[in-house]
Amino acid sequence: MDMIRRRSSYLTLGVVAALLAACAAPPVATTPAARKKTIAVVTPYMANETTKYVIDQFKKQAEAKGWQVTVTDTAADFNLLVTRIKDAVTQKVDAIVLGMGDPAQMTQGLEAASQANIPVFGIDAGNAPGVLVNVTSDNTALGKLSAETLAKAINGQGNVIMFTHDPHPGVRARAAAAAETFAAYPNIKVIEKKHIEVPGPVDNARKITEDLLTAYPESGSIAGIWAGWDEPALGAVQAALAANRTEIKVMGIDGTAFAKAEIAKKGPFIASVAQDFDAMAAKTAELIEAYFNGKKPESDLILIPGRLITAENAQ
Amino acid sequence: MEKYPVSEQQPLQRMTSSPLIKLNRPHDLAWARKWGTLIGFVALVVLFSLLRPDVFPTVRNWSNIIEQVATLAIVAATVTIVMVTGDFDLSVGALASLAGVVAADLMANQGVPVALAILAALLVGVAGGAINGLLVAYGGLSAFVATLATMTAYGGAALLYTNGATIFSRIPESFRWLGQGDVAGIPTPVIVMLIVVFLAWLLMEQTVFGRRLYAIGGNAEASYLVGISVQRLRLIAFMLSGLGAALSGVILTSRLFSAHPQAGNPFMLNAAAAVFLGATAFREGEPHVLGTLLGVLIMGVLGNGLNILGVNSYIQSILTGAIIVLAVLISSLSRRR
Repeated sequence: MDMIRRRSSYLTLGVVAALLAACAAPPVATTPAARKKTIAVVTPYMANETTKYVIDQFKKQAEAKGWQVTVTDTAADFNLLVTRIKDAVTQKVDAIVLGMGDPAQMTQGLEAASQANIPVFGIDAGNAPGVLVNVTSDNTALGKLSAETLAKAINGQGNVIMFTHDPHPGVRARAAAAAETFAAYPNIKVIEKKHIEVPGPVDNARKITEDLLTAYPESGSIAGIWAGWDEPALGAVQAALAANRTEIKVMGIDGTAFAKAEIAKKGPFIASVAQDFDAMAAKTAELIEAYFNGKKPESDLILIPGRLITAENAQ
Repeated sequence: MEKYPVSEQQPLQRMTSSPLIKLNRPHDLAWARKWGTLIGFVALVVLFSLLRPDVFPTVRNWSNIIEQVATLAIVAATVTIVMVTGDFDLSVGALASLAGVVAADLMANQGVPVALAILAALLVGVAGGAINGLLVAYGGLSAFVATLATMTAYGGAALLYTNGATIFSRIPESFRWLGQGDVAGIPTPVIVMLIVVFLAWLLMEQTVFGRRLYAIGGNAEASYLVGISVQRLRLIAFMLSGLGAALSGVILTSRLFSAHPQAGNPFMLNAAAAVFLGATAFREGEPHVLGTLLGVLIMGVLGNGLNILGVNSYIQSILTGAIIVLAVLISSLSRRR
């Protein structure tokens, strides 16, 4: 029995090891003789569309500058990510770029990099010891721009509903900035602040909107709905359309593909504010170039403002 | 051993001597047990109607509530079938999500006709349910462990299938009818809900199959000994639960006219809550389809009413939890002698 059990546990171990080996990305290429600058991009989230986009953009920028870029994805495995950072350190790359992912979970890898004097740049990653600079969106600015846009669309007056999700620090910052913006308009009143459940935010927001449309049945009693991200905005739009309350203006944030499609219809979904990933990628490449030329970034946090998406540029 | 039960009985004796429990004749108890949850529901309706008489008790609001609960009622009615046997199905939310994205992808991206895409999605649900059933009935895993594992796996499959993204473009317009259309003014999801609830009720209350499932729930060992094919019936129960979850996921996709890889996930906890609430109504604390429907309605009315009153979202969650506890507590207290 014991033998069998042991044998089967070896078998399990073997299978797991084989799976891990199959999942692991190919090793980072060695530095060519031509002494091209080499950059290792490591990410746990390549499966995420946005992450893939921003890394592809960065790669384009970097290659245009004549650098050699390798991209390694660890499919949400932070342990493997640390190993990959250490691999990059061993190969003496000129810079490491974190493509999103919380650097607090990469401590060992970051320590190895800083001991080897290899700079680490974060794209929408986070700040932690060993990260030279993080380039990310300014959630406060995103919230402010979206609230300003909605306030203008309703001519600075009327009742506004806010869809929030305070446990998420980014969305919380957006909502705080939006609330402050609305407060500056004396004729705008935030009548409801609703917490949207995740997962299932579209359906949840749709139901809450249906209930609120019933609670405020007169046309014009709700001027606008501000959502902390695009999913609840979509739910609100669907409820407004179904109830023929198309006078209500809905505003989202993130500029996701489905939001753009809805905005393009010129219905209640008036606009969304997108994080500017092109600018993030470009800024990161710029900072690395400056670093290679001996100029360190003046701050460890660079905030990129959002980009407004309306019916005019949504296609 | 003789002494111990005596000392245990003391608090009970104290309870029976309190004036509150003097009413505690078996007759009153049975009454409270049978109708307590329904009375609670009516009380909620009356309360909300008094607080917002212009809004809550209107036809528009009620059609709103019923349309809102339709998808949940479908999942909850079919998950009741599993819960009757004493098992549990944690995977229904993930299966609903998976079926939703499969249907959307097939019709939007693979050129599959709408009806076939829906059928394929339902088959995914049945297959997922069958895996659950095989693991539980034949593999000997506890339903909790098995469906916890498959919940994770099905959820992962939905994310993998869509790469985490939302499917929203090229969905055929004819698919809209299932989630947003109506028949003679009655929304399609409500009609589907009524059919599913009726069929589930018929199956559980009026057929030998249903009675056998209740027998398994009462005592699986004894059911086996009297010749009921326990394993096969449990397998079928899980397949029906998977089918209901998938149907609900497909309707949700049509309603939102977009498929989000986690859209169905909230169904799991809400359906379980509805079944537990429903088990306190009309009967001896066992799950049953009409009770589940009442449970779903209570949750729907609660959410809608509190939203209309403008109650803080976090407090809404606390109240929902408190009401479930209260209902089950009253039911179990009134069952004690």
